[in-house]
Amino acid sequence: MKIATAELEAALDRLLLADANALDSKDMPGWLANYAEEDGASYYCRAAENTEHNLELGFMFDDCRARLEDRVTYVTEIWAGTFQDYRTRHFVQRVSHCQVDASTAEAVSNFSVFMTPMDTGVTQVLAAGRYLDKVRLSENGGAKFLSRRAELDTSVLPRYLVYPI
Amino acid sequence: MADAPLAWPKNYNEVPKAAFTRTDLYAEEIKRIFHGPEWHPIAHESELPNPGDFRTVRLAGIPLLISRDDCGEVRVFYNACSHRSNQLETAVMGNKTEFECPYHRWLFSAKGELVGCPNPREFLPGFDKADYPLGQPRFELFYGLIFVTFSPETESLDQFLGQAGETLRELMAGDGRLKLLGYQKVRYDSNWKGYNDNDGYHAPLLHAAFKMLNWQGGKGRQYTATKRGHVCFESALSVASGPSVLKDKDLIAFKGQDPSVGSRIVQLFPTFVSTKHLDVINLRFATPIDAETTEVHYAYFAHQDDDEEMVRHRLRQSSNLLGPCGLISMEDASIFHRIHIGSHTPGNAIFQKGVRDPGKLESEFSQNDESGNLPRWEYYRSVMGFERAEA
Repeated sequence: MKIATAELEAALDRLLLADANALDSKDMPGWLANYAEEDGASYYCRAAENTEHNLELGFMFDDCRARLEDRVTYVTEIWAGTFQDYRTRHFVQRVSHCQVDASTAEAVSNFSVFMTPMDTGVTQVLAAGRYLDKVRLSENGGAKFLSRRAELDTSVLPRYLVYPI
Repeated sequence: MADAPLAWPKNYNEVPKAAFTRTDLYAEEIKRIFHGPEWHPIAHESELPNPGDFRTVRLAGIPLLISRDDCGEVRVFYNACSHRSNQLETAVMGNKTEFECPYHRWLFSAKGELVGCPNPREFLPGFDKADYPLGQPRFELFYGLIFVTFSPETESLDQFLGQAGETLRELMAGDGRLKLLGYQKVRYDSNWKGYNDNDGYHAPLLHAAFKMLNWQGGKGRQYTATKRGHVCFESALSVASGPSVLKDKDLIAFKGQDPSVGSRIVQLFPTFVSTKHLDVINLRFATPIDAETTEVHYAYFAHQDDDEEMVRHRLRQSSNLLGPCGLISMEDASIFHRIHIGSHTPGNAIFQKGVRDPGKLESEFSQNDESGNLPRWEYYRSVMGFERAEA
């Protein structure tokens, strides 16, 4: 069934903002909750430079739900207390979208992420790029990521990453 | 020389923290080390597998162009037009058999010959295109790993590598027939020596993952090679056993054919680090950007004989295990930054683990000894001409 444009846009934007909010709040379970509960749910983060040269390797390669769940464990348990923490602010802007079938939509959004390390307090740009999303739509107007690929224009990161982008 | 020589402590296990932070030393390091008689790995030839493939990199500021001509031969050039030194190629990688400088339309072949330039009659009398090929640094290949040096004095690459060559060969799958999987690139807020002093070297206590995954390190040795103190680690394969907090166990699985090869790390003076861990083959090309910044390009590889499933496994493991956000290396990255900040305090950094006699240098170490870094520091001190205090 084709969903009305305004309704689809609202559902996609709610998801985009929920993800930005979860990441900026360092709420990893909240981040995971934005992904569809399907084995194939995935998140990738990689330099667009790699993609353009058919190189699949990325900074983060979570190609199944189990890996998404593991990423929550990395951040909340395994790495706890070892890194210099930093705040992030994600700015997201949907630039195109389409409905693929009754339960699937695709969306492309621009993003920029500021970071402020807690120790220096000096704000810098962490990364800029595009999200290429495949979204699972539910009948009650809900939307979850089936697949999200953060394609970074920033091929050289200004620091190591703890949180997904 | 820099403002004032650095006073070096008498004990071999002490390094003045000012070595990491005195920005006036940096220009001298560039001259004596990066532009001096040292070999620097800049890429593996498998990063440009096809005729016409090229890559550009900068090493300590120097722009380089690596190209493979249509006969398959790899060469290294300065990435600057032989006319007025305009940057010749701007792409990081691509495929081209000719390179044109847009400024005055000088055209170069992938062999570096000047093959065309408009209006040569207006040039100096006797102008001959044959006199204007692209400039080249000395370069040599070792199992496909491309090294350059900017000094005519540098000894042969084999001499430079010494014993480390054998470990490096094993690390590159034994034959160097690699297949590129991709890059992770990052800048660290760390002096290049702070990066090099803390990458490669293992601090198991730092990594909670090892304990949480019931992952004991394999038994192994650490040794240093040549007067430069290249550090090599050879250890038996170790895999995590018992209950694990990970739901996707493939991240830390070994699916390779030859468990006897185990883990390898080779760290060459001044900045190169490489590792083979589980099924990850990772070459880290690092360069100083300035006295407080080091850029590292982590390049990951499969082997040319891998089947599709193995390539997939390496891709999944490489992306998430090592590198600037890897499960067992993100913490290392944070140490590069924190060591650099902490080194802006008076006194010396003091190495403890594995040091038996502060008045002596050794070349065989246990796996997690800090003392493996000390021969390299002694070489650095001597190259920089700093006097060690008398005992």
